[in-house]
Amino acid sequence: MSKEPTGFKSWLFTTDHKKIGIMYLFTSMVFFVVGLLLAIVMRTEMLDQTRQVIIDAKLYNVAFTIHGAAMVLFWMIPILLGFFANYLIPLMIGAHDVAFPRLNALAYWLYVGAGLIAVCALILPGRLDIGWTGYPPYSIVGGANTAFYVFAVHLLGASSIAGAVNFITTIITLRAPGMTWGRLNLTVWGLFGAFIIQLVGIPVLAAAVTLLLFDKYLGTSFYDSFKGGNPILYEHLFWFYGHPAVYVVALPVFGIVSDIISTFARKKIYGYTSMVIAIMIITVLGFETWVHHLYVAGTLDWVRVLFMWGTILIAVPTGIKVFNWLATLHKGSIELTAPMLYALGFISLFTIGGVTGIANGLLGFDIHVHDTHWVVAHFHYVLALSMSMLCLGGIYYWFPKFTGKMYNDGLAKFAFWLTLIGAMIAFLPQFQLGYDGIPRRYWKLPVEYTTHMRIASIFSYIAILGFFLTIYNFIHSAIKGAPAPANPWGSRSLEWQIPSPPPFYNFDEIPVITEGPYEYGKPK
Amino acid sequence: MLRTFLSSLLTMFYILAPYVAVAAREASDPVDGWNRHFKVWLVVSAVIYLVVTIPLVYFVIRYKRRSKNEEGAYIEGNVGLEILWTVIPLVVTILLGTQSWALFNDYRKTPKDAFEARVIASMYKFEMISPEGIHTTNELRVPVGHVKLTMTSTDVTHDFAVPTFRVREDTVPGQTTHLWFNAKTPGTYPAYCAEFCGSGHSRMLAKVIVMPKEEYAKWARENSAGEAANIAPEEKGKKLTENLGCTGCHTITGESATGPTFKGLMGSSVTLIDGKTLTADDAFIKTKIKDPKSMQVKGFDLPMPPNNLSDAEIEAITAYLKTLR
Ligand code: HEM
Ligand SMILES: [Cu+2]
Repeated sequence: MSKEPTGFKSWLFTTDHKKIGIMYLFTSMVFFVVGLLLAIVMRTEMLDQTRQVIIDAKLYNVAFTIHGAAMVLFWMIPILLGFFANYLIPLMIGAHDVAFPRLNALAYWLYVGAGLIAVCALILPGRLDIGWTGYPPYSIVGGANTAFYVFAVHLLGASSIAGAVNFITTIITLRAPGMTWGRLNLTVWGLFGAFIIQLVGIPVLAAAVTLLLFDKYLGTSFYDSFKGGNPILYEHLFWFYGHPAVYVVALPVFGIVSDIISTFARKKIYGYTSMVIAIMIITVLGFETWVHHLYVAGTLDWVRVLFMWGTILIAVPTGIKVFNWLATLHKGSIELTAPMLYALGFISLFTIGGVTGIANGLLGFDIHVHDTHWVVAHFHYVLALSMSMLCLGGIYYWFPKFTGKMYNDGLAKFAFWLTLIGAMIAFLPQFQLGYDGIPRRYWKLPVEYTTHMRIASIFSYIAILGFFLTIYNFIHSAIKGAPAPANPWGSRSLEWQIPSPPPFYNFDEIPVITEGPYEYGKPK
Repeated sequence: MLRTFLSSLLTMFYILAPYVAVAAREASDPVDGWNRHFKVWLVVSAVIYLVVTIPLVYFVIRYKRRSKNEEGAYIEGNVGLEILWTVIPLVVTILLGTQSWALFNDYRKTPKDAFEARVIASMYKFEMISPEGIHTTNELRVPVGHVKLTMTSTDVTHDFAVPTFRVREDTVPGQTTHLWFNAKTPGTYPAYCAEFCGSGHSRMLAKVIVMPKEEYAKWARENSAGEAANIAPEEKGKKLTENLGCTGCHTITGESATGPTFKGLMGSSVTLIDGKTLTADDAFIKTKIKDPKSMQVKGFDLPMPPNNLSDAEIEAITAYLKTLR
C-alpha cells in the first residue's frame, strides 16, 4: 500500500475513487450553478408577457436548451453516478477502490470534455436552440450548430458507458467477504439499477444523435420524410434512453433517501427486500414507457395504449418505496437534521410530481396537457427540484465523511426552508397554465398569465437563493468547518465505521461483514 | 384454482369492457370525457397526497428522538402490509388507466358526419384548407358540429392544439396525422403550436372560428372559387394576401417588417444578398412566390415560407401589387 500523493498533480493524474468523486462533485456543481443562472434569466424574461425584458425569443430558446442539458446531463446524472457512486460504492461494499481505476479517471475527463463543448454551445455562434431533446427536423434545418450537441452527447455517452461497466463490475466482484446482496446499502442497489440502464440505453442515444450529425452535415436523410426517412424515428430512439434516464437519476436518489431515513430514524429500513425488488422492477419497466413522449406524435393508436400501461404501472413500485419510507419512520427515533429535512422535503415534493405524472401518463388526460406547462411543472417537482434538493441533502449527510468537517447547521436549515418553500410554490401556477393547455417553450405567454408567471418567478428566486446559500455553506464549511467525528450520526453503515475522511486505501484490511447496514435497535 | 381463474377472467373483462363498449357506440364528446377524467384523477391524487403527508408529519412529531442514544423499534417489515400497498395502488392504477383508455378511444373514433378540413403547418403559421378549397391562414372556419382535421407540415414538426376542445396532435412533415373535436357552440377559440419549432414558436398562434351552419355556408360561397371568378383579379389578390397571412410579414404602409413592404414594390429596384440588383417586375414576383427560397432580398434573413398557390392566384396577387404604388 503506497503513500497518498499530494499536490495539484495528484489530482490531475489521480485514479483514486475518492478524489475522482470529489472532482465530479466540483464539476457538476459548476453546471448546477450555470443551470440556475439560466433559470434566473428565463424567469426574469417571464416577468412581463408583453415585451422583451432581457432576452429575445432566440436567446430564450438557447437558455432553456442549455438549462435543460446542463441540469439533466451535467448536474443530476454526474452528481449521482459520478460523485455519489465514486465516493460511496467502494466504501459501502468494503473495497480498496473500483475495479478499473484508470477507466474511472478516463470517464471523468471525458465528462469534462463534454462539459467544455456544452459551454461552447452556450457562448459560441450557432448557439444551441434546439431544446435539450434536439428533435429533427428543426435541429437539422435550423441555424444551431448541432455538432456541439452530438459531440457533447458522444463524449458524455462514452464516459457513462465506462462508468457503468466499471461500477457494475465493482459491485459484482469487489464486495467484501460477508457483504451479500442482501446486505448492500439501498444506495448501492439504486446505483446498480441506474448503471444497468446506462449500459443498455446510452448506445441507442449515441446512435440517434450520430444519425442527426450525418443528416445535418453529410446530407443523409435518416430523419427526412421527404427523402425516405422519418423524423419520428429520432423521437423513439431519443426517448428509448431519454425516459429511462430519469430513472438513472431517480433510483440512486431513492437509495440515498432510504439511507438517510434509516440513519436518522435509527430504524431498520422497512421491507428491504421489497425495496430492492421495486428498484429492479423500475429498472426493467423503465424501458416500457418511452412512447408517452410520443402520445400526440401521430403514433399508432395501440402502441400508445400499450405504453400507457407501462408508464402508469411504474406508479406501483414507486408507491411501494414511498410507503416503506413512511413505515420506516413509524416507531423510529427521529432526529430532524439537515439531511433528514431534505429527505422528508423530497418526499413531499416528489409526491406532487408523482400524482401529476400519473396524469401525464394517462393517455386520454395527456392529450390535452402534452407539451404544456403542466409537464414543465410536473418534472420540476418530480425530478428537477426534489431530486436536486435530495442530492444537496446527500452531500450534507456525507459531508463529515468526505471533508472531515461539520457543516453550519443553522444556515443549512435556513437555506433548506427557503428552497422548500420556493420550490413548493414556484411551479404551482404552471399547473393552471397546463390545465388551460398553454404550450411550453414559449418565449411569451398570453397576457392573462402575467400574474401567474410573476408569482412563479418570485418563488423561483427564493428557491434559487436557498440553493446558493447551500452551496456557500458547502464551500465555507469545507474550509472553515469544525472537525467532525468519524461517525457523527451514529450510523451502522460500513462507510461510517472508518475514519473521516477515509484513509488513502479506505480499509487497512478488507473487513469481514457480519450484518447489514440498517440494523438499529436489534434485540441483543 | 377455479376461483383465481374466474377472478382473473373478471378482471380481464373489466379492463376490456370500456374498449368494447366504446367500439360499439358512437364516440361521445372528448371534452366531457376529459373533464370527468380530470375530476377522478384530482380526487385520487388528493387522497394519495394526504395518505402520504399526514403520516409523514405525524410520525416526525410522534417519534421525535427523546434521548441521545435512543434507537427505533426493530421491525423488518410485514409481508401482508407490503402486499396491501402494492395491490391497492395497482387496482387504482388499473381503474384510472381503463378510464383513460376509454377516453382515448373517443378521441380516436372520428364521427362519420364530421366536417373535414386540412391544416398545413409551416414556420410560423398554419394554413387551413376548407373542404370547398378555400385557403386561409391562422384562421380555421368551421360550421357547428363535428370537425375532423387532417394535418401535415412543410418544414419542421409542429403541433396543432385547441385547448377548448381538449385536443392536440403533432403535424409531421411528409406525414399526415388527424384529430377530431366537437365544435358545439359558435365562437372564436385560440389554437397554439405546441411542438417547439424555432424562434417564432410562441408567435405561432391561430384561431378556430366556429360559425352557425348558415353563416358558414354563406362565407364559403363568398370565398370559394366559383364566386370569386366574378370579382376583379386585384380584389381577389388582396383577399388572398390577407387570408394567407402574407400581410403578416409584408406591410402595405411602406414600413419594412419581417419582409419588404408591398407598397411601391412593383417596379422598384431590389438588391439581393448576393449583391445583384434587379427590378421587381412581374417575372420577379412570380418566381419569388413560386420558389420562396430563391432570390433572398438583402436585409431580410428569414426565407419566405412555401405556399400552395395556383398560377391564376399568383396572377391575381401580382395584379393587386400593381395597385399599391
Ligand atoms: C429553481 C430552479 C429552476 C427554475 C426556476 C427552472 C425554470 C425553468 C424554466 C423557466 C424552464 C423553461 C420552461 C419553458 O419555457 O418551457 C425550464 C426548463 C427545464 N428545466 Fe428547469 N428550472 C429550475 C431547475 C431545474 C433543475 C434542477 C433541473 C434538473 C433536472 C431542471 C431541468 C429542466 C429541463 C430538463 C427543462 C426543459 C428544457 C427544454 O425544454 O429543453 N430545471 N426550467
Ligand atoms: Cu410550430
